[in-house]
Amino acid sequence: MNPDKDDMFQIGADGINASELTKQIQQRVAEKLERGVYTDARVARAERMNLAHIRDNDNFLPFYLDCLRDAVFVDISDFEITERRRFFSAPLVTLKKAIWKLLKFYTYRLWAQQNQVNGLLLSAVEGVDNRTRDKIAALEKRVAELENASSSD
Amino acid sequence: MRDLQSPAPNPPSDIPYPESIAFVAPRFPEGSTVGGAETLLKALASRLTANGHKVSFLTTCARNHFTWANEVEPGTREIDGVNVTFFPVDSDRDIDLFLSIQESICRRRDISEEEELIWLRNNVNSRALCDHLRQNSGQYDRIIVGPYLFGLSYFAAAVVPSKTILVPCLHDEPFAYLQSFGKMFKSASAIMFNSAAEQALASRIYGIESVQASVVGMGMEPFAVDKTACAKKLGLDAPYIIYSGRREELKGTPLMLDYLAAFRSRTGRDLKLVLTGTGDYELPASLRGHVVDMGFVSEKEKHDAMAGALSFCHPSVNESFGIVILESWLADRPVLVHGCSNVLKDHCEQSNGGLWFSVYPEFEEELCFLMDNPEHSAAMGKAGREYVIREYGWEAIDRKLLAALS
Repeated sequence: MNPDKDDMFQIGADGINASELTKQIQQRVAEKLERGVYTDARVARAERMNLAHIRDNDNFLPFYLDCLRDAVFVDISDFEITERRRFFSAPLVTLKKAIWKLLKFYTYRLWAQQNQVNGLLLSAVEGVDNRTRDKIAALEKRVAELENASSSD
Repeated sequence: MRDLQSPAPNPPSDIPYPESIAFVAPRFPEGSTVGGAETLLKALASRLTANGHKVSFLTTCARNHFTWANEVEPGTREIDGVNVTFFPVDSDRDIDLFLSIQESICRRRDISEEEELIWLRNNVNSRALCDHLRQNSGQYDRIIVGPYLFGLSYFAAAVVPSKTILVPCLHDEPFAYLQSFGKMFKSASAIMFNSAAEQALASRIYGIESVQASVVGMGMEPFAVDKTACAKKLGLDAPYIIYSGRREELKGTPLMLDYLAAFRSRTGRDLKLVLTGTGDYELPASLRGHVVDMGFVSEKEKHDAMAGALSFCHPSVNESFGIVILESWLADRPVLVHGCSNVLKDHCEQSNGGLWFSVYPEFEEELCFLMDNPEHSAAMGKAGREYVIREYGWEAIDRKLLAALS
């Protein structure tokens, strides 16, 4: 199922208008982005090859960073350990649990540090992006003021 | 097989046109040697041959566009009604030097015109072909050269610029911004574009207002399809999207696979992907068993596969024409294209036969829309078909082509 299939698109009686339909879809996507429907690590992974194409799109980077926030941390928490084989399943599960505990003990520090680095890098990129946006907004405002001033002269 | 041999329904009689025409392209599309630009040039050559022109198709002995090894015997043969002459690719290319300059171009570093020429000289070239053109230029009234990207095109276009008509198949890519190509565009006697969007791109990059330019494209003929044949043959009981053509990063294949993997995982819908064409790709683990690679297939098999699909998906942003989406429309199915390709988006806007996405969420919404609204999908396919017949029927193309040649 579509995770957020809730409303219908308006299709005119004269047939399909692709531009209008795409516009409606884009509006619907914008609303869902606001609601965080697409803030998803899977989306971040899917977009990795698309970055180059839409680097000029002002809204893409914040969206991508939002998705990345969901994908940035390596999952190092415990998980259910099972065994499919019928025979010796209990000792095999115990063995697997012991191996996982050992692995976790020796690699926890490494992964915890990796998660910390990932998070810090992402925060840094978000910071740079926000700062650049603020700078551009200030410059645009200044340009508009100068244009207004020169036109009124 | 598209019937390219049939004569023009109403050959325009009011336009004077040249008798003898040479086509120059780095490869001739035959069997598994496919490429949109080459297919387009071959179609135009076939059409002009059928219309009574004396046509020679000059090309290299290469089949593989990665190795450019000489695989075909040099010499002249008639293939699919076209007189084709194969010339060997130059064997003294300095590949390392070529690749090092190419890397600089791709990274958009400034390179000198001299370096551009070194890159072009070590690109795919055939001195034998250019010598033939030089020695026999008097035989040809027009020399149609394309696509723009190759050393062969650059040097062949320089042999007799006053007779040269460029079919650039231009993309917005770093190579397009080389000064040498700007000069090539400006020195050609005329340019035939495949779409208005391609012409606008060339005007933006080169400022070619002084050159005679026109939008021609390629004629398409309707074909009969069996909508159920592909699913039956492949044993598919779930809906599928299809992509036909070269599978490589430049064509957006990895993007399409990543998007499909995310779509299946997020929506839980069982949507498959059918691929036809050639090229290697890395399949995400989650898509194993959900992607069917038919490899190189006949035109009939391809069209049947298109007709049975939910939609044709074209994720490439580097297109100058998009033959396959026109074929999908002739098979009555809608298309889903990358919105960063102005050419594909323009086709969709003008035809109302497809939707475009720029980011994954739009892709997901649009696929869900097509899956949930089969009647609208069918209407889009129909609108696309009407557009192709209206704009790209051979009758319309004949007139544009002969006007461009004259």
